[in-house]
Amino acid sequence: MGPPGREGPALLAEDVRAGYGAGDIIHGVSVQVSPGAVASVVGPNGSGKSTLLKALCGVIRPSAGRVRVGDRDITGLPPEEVARAGVGYVPQVDDVFAPLTVRENLEMGGYLLAGRTVAERVERVVGIFPRLGNMLTRRAGRLSGGERKMLAMGRVLMLEPAVFLLDEPTANLAPQVATELLTGHVRTLAEVGAAVLIVEQRARAVLAISDYTYVLGGGQVLMADTPAHLNASQEFTESFFGVGPKVPQTPQAPKSS
Amino acid sequence: MTTAQLYYLLNLLIYAGVDIIACLGLSQQFGVAGLTNFGFIIFQAAGAYTAAILSLPAASANGGFQSYIGGWNLPFPVPWIGAAIVGALIALPFTFLVGRRLRGDFAAVGLLVTAVMINLLVTNYRPFLNGSAGLSLIPAPLQGKYNPQGAGYQWAYAVAALLLAAGAFWLVQRVTESPYGRSLRAMRDNDIVADSLGKSLFAQRTSVLVLGGALAGLSGGVLVGYITTWSPGAWGYAETIVLFAAVIIGGAGNHRGAILGAILVPVGFEEATRYLPAFGPPGFVDDLQWVAIGLLVVIFLWFRPQGILPERRRIIGATNNIPNEDVVSLPGPLRASRGAMDASPDGPAVRTSMQPAPFAGSPAAAAPNDPVVLRTVDLTRDFGGVHAVAAVSIEVRRGTLTGLIGPNGAGKSTLLGTLAGTIPVTSGQVIYQGNDVTHVPAYRRARLGLVRTFQLASEFKRLTVMENLLSAVPGNRGDSLAGSLRGRRYWRRDEDAAIARARVLLERFGLSGYADTYGGDLSGGQRRLTEIMRALMTEPTMLLLDEPMAGVHPRLARQIGAQLLDLCAEGMTILMVEHELAIMDEFCDPVIMMAEGAVLATGTMTDLRARTEVVEAYLVG
Amino acid sequence: MSLFLASFGFGLVTAAVLAIAAVGFTMQFAVTDVLNLAYGAVMIASAFVAYALNQAGVNVWIGLLAAAAAGAVGSVLLNQGIYTPFQRRIGDAARSRITLVIVSLGMTLIIEFGLQAIVGGTSVSYTMSQGPTVKAGGLVLTAVQFVIIGLAVVVMAAVHGLLRYTKLGKAMRATSANRSLARNCGIRTGRIVTVTWAVTGALCGIAGTVFAINNGSFGATSADLFLVVILAAVFLGGPGSAYGAMLGALIIGLATEISAAYITPSYKDVIAFAVLLIMLAVRPSGLLGTAVS
Repeated sequence: MGPPGREGPALLAEDVRAGYGAGDIIHGVSVQVSPGAVASVVGPNGSGKSTLLKALCGVIRPSAGRVRVGDRDITGLPPEEVARAGVGYVPQVDDVFAPLTVRENLEMGGYLLAGRTVAERVERVVGIFPRLGNMLTRRAGRLSGGERKMLAMGRVLMLEPAVFLLDEPTANLAPQVATELLTGHVRTLAEVGAAVLIVEQRARAVLAISDYTYVLGGGQVLMADTPAHLNASQEFTESFFGVGPKVPQTPQAPKSS
Repeated sequence: MTTAQLYYLLNLLIYAGVDIIACLGLSQQFGVAGLTNFGFIIFQAAGAYTAAILSLPAASANGGFQSYIGGWNLPFPVPWIGAAIVGALIALPFTFLVGRRLRGDFAAVGLLVTAVMINLLVTNYRPFLNGSAGLSLIPAPLQGKYNPQGAGYQWAYAVAALLLAAGAFWLVQRVTESPYGRSLRAMRDNDIVADSLGKSLFAQRTSVLVLGGALAGLSGGVLVGYITTWSPGAWGYAETIVLFAAVIIGGAGNHRGAILGAILVPVGFEEATRYLPAFGPPGFVDDLQWVAIGLLVVIFLWFRPQGILPERRRIIGATNNIPNEDVVSLPGPLRASRGAMDASPDGPAVRTSMQPAPFAGSPAAAAPNDPVVLRTVDLTRDFGGVHAVAAVSIEVRRGTLTGLIGPNGAGKSTLLGTLAGTIPVTSGQVIYQGNDVTHVPAYRRARLGLVRTFQLASEFKRLTVMENLLSAVPGNRGDSLAGSLRGRRYWRRDEDAAIARARVLLERFGLSGYADTYGGDLSGGQRRLTEIMRALMTEPTMLLLDEPMAGVHPRLARQIGAQLLDLCAEGMTILMVEHELAIMDEFCDPVIMMAEGAVLATGTMTDLRARTEVVEAYLVG
Repeated sequence: MSLFLASFGFGLVTAAVLAIAAVGFTMQFAVTDVLNLAYGAVMIASAFVAYALNQAGVNVWIGLLAAAAAGAVGSVLLNQGIYTPFQRRIGDAARSRITLVIVSLGMTLIIEFGLQAIVGGTSVSYTMSQGPTVKAGGLVLTAVQFVIIGLAVVVMAAVHGLLRYTKLGKAMRATSANRSLARNCGIRTGRIVTVTWAVTGALCGIAGTVFAINNGSFGATSADLFLVVILAAVFLGGPGSAYGAMLGALIIGLATEISAAYITPSYKDVIAFAVLLIMLAVRPSGLLGTAVS
């Protein structure tokens, strides 16, 4: 069974292999996300979750496999071209331009937009994250952790991309702020029609807001299913403990419905 | 050969001698120790000026047309000795720039600026060293007795210059091909790690500046005795670039390369242009010469940065064939008990210099009968308003391979850091072998036998695996400037003992074939092993391992695990942070599980897995 | 009092030349992480471009524009042809930085002595009038000196406008701050870097020409010492900070000239050098920078 969705996947990655030079970290990972859906990637440390996102958005080059956004093949494109293809990426660290103001950060997010639309989009993003509205002239480096994450997500929202890639957005956030981010903001992104692929350490919390979840271990997909099934599965819990042979469960290609 | 040709040849030889001495000093600083000393020319200038003012008569002589300090009319060889001494002393103020944690290029620029500034000061303050006109009529050595223009004198001068060059070579080789030289190269490759191994970066940099400074000063003294004049125009930063070009082209890190570079660049290059027909306007050929030097530097740095004669790989063989019996006892303990060592026939001279300092005043507590090696009492570490480690009390028992696990952000690495002494503690205590070491710095805990490894790659890339291991041994007599100068005979025994111990470790971990491989050429797993072996070289009582299996192939990870278990069987205690829970399963007992800064549970992996709060902690993340 | 005002005036002129130069230098560092020690060489080479036109009868202020263009082209070639390839070739950051400094020194030799081979070793000057002496606000300077100050003010305002109010300027700041994130925003950082070197190269060319005008006579190696004063201004303000460079230029310009008047002129540059060394030893991030490792 594949992830739920109305049309074909907004993001499709097939058999991606990638690493940082001295050998691959992920060995043949396939994931997909449909528009309006939230898919999460969880797994123990070192399983390759961050590496996967970096390979998808062009920060590192896959050594094998394909990545498509809608109809377009973006495999191996540099990050600036991947952004033009409609993919927004929020890295785990260094996620804002610290010396620039909040407004300028958002404007950089809207770099690819025509001049007039930028101001309008800033208004829209401030509408979604009202607290940013009070801080438009503050330097991004002076924001608190939660505020920075909001700004990072707001920056990506400026382009209204078809696909959002979020790398551990709740890392270093206090639990309530983390929950608010996941249940509020992340779900909102999906509600406006984007496809969201979110990597998270907080497995329980992210499962609660996901439509579909991939469990990564040792650079491969160990399991892929709906949260409901995973939560009920013994194997799911055990996968966090590195138990069992590393036989990957290849998720079946979803049928577009 | 005509007289003119003879004089020309002697002239060349003298310049060659001078440039060789200077380049060897720079090679020691730049090639071996990694110090980009763009102020190098100052040392040579200081030496030249010193020799000048020591040998010149009082300033009022010759009609008093020059003004300068000094002027004591001292006979040879005092001016040359003075030149070397002042060159060495001038190094000391320069240390303020190299001692600190400053970006390499910023420090280099600072040194360049210092050289320019000093040139400016000397140029403008006439009473000091006669300003921009410089000093002239400097007496040649022994000019009272001999005619400096005579052929015999010139021969003697050339021979003296070359003998001093040979002496300089002998000196820098002695320092570089010693344990101290190895520490200098380690500092060059990775100064942070060298620092953590207890090498004093400040002392090493200072000593290299002083040694190179002395050589540069001497070269200045020899030069000025021959050309009898010296002015600020002779030592601008262009001259430093020429010396750097020589060392880079000849081969940085190889003293023979420095000699070759000295012959090729300052001597060969400048002289070759003498034979070109003078074409173009005046100064044209000189200008092209400078352009060519600039081109050579850029071209070499692109195509052959290691130079014509690159740094040689050190293949280390023990100078004794039969190592001390106590040291090699396979598969026995890596650490023979202290009692047995002292009783060895060779006496403590060989071994004790290698031991970590014994505990002062803690006889009973150090007894190997105490089952608990490391204990913490309510250990807390706050960071940014958060309890990174919250009132943790754990015990690590002797001979165990204890695991430390937990989700990201649980505080495992922080706890390890407080145990090792690399992270300070907010409150609580760390008790090691019965002693409170809470405020003892990391390198001293290492001397007491509590050693940690690091997560990130920390091998010395341009040292071989063997050298990497040897660099970790504290207390090698050859590991200081004085020790290295005393020669191989002085430090040979310590070195041989260390080599033997290293060979045992290499054998044990299956890397004997890689002893002579550069650290930078190792695979990820091999680097991890080298890291562990290096920690073991210090004969620790307890090891703190920070993710030793990260990124390692599962099969190799199990081999490492098996080795660690063997070490524990021999009496070592190990506390290991790791994410690979399968490893924990197979090798670690007990396992301490942390979440949110506190210890959640302790037991075997099976016990822990059965506990819901443990499982939940991972899933909550 | 008039001594103070006179030296204050000279200080402003020095600060003006320094500001144009230092802002260019620091922005090159911000966007590429390279201390371009060949900056002085490009400055003086551009000044000679203006000189060549000046000899052909062109007014030096028009020649200034040609110098700006020459500086822009030369700087872009320097970065694309030399610095960037070296950075790519040497992965390790620490070794790369040292190698690049040495390479930039090598380039200095090539450019300056190549230039000297062409134009010869004698000093030259522009054919221009210094204009009448002007008294304004208590200061007594020549018209040309006032023009230089005015030019610096205009250039600083233009740089400020560029960085704060234009999309390009913001993209330059973003690229300097976090290149990877800038790419994720769709910014083609390669082009931004090229444009930055072109803009700063133009500043370098302008700075070289006004330096030559202010000095009176100049030769191929005249900018060697001035480069160190530029470094002082850059490090005082904080390497990578354009506003820091402006502040640093003002302080150093005034400090050197005023001290020259009251203490002694021969050592005025020594003040700049001492400031540089103190900043490196105590606070390498400069007055306006954030503490960096």
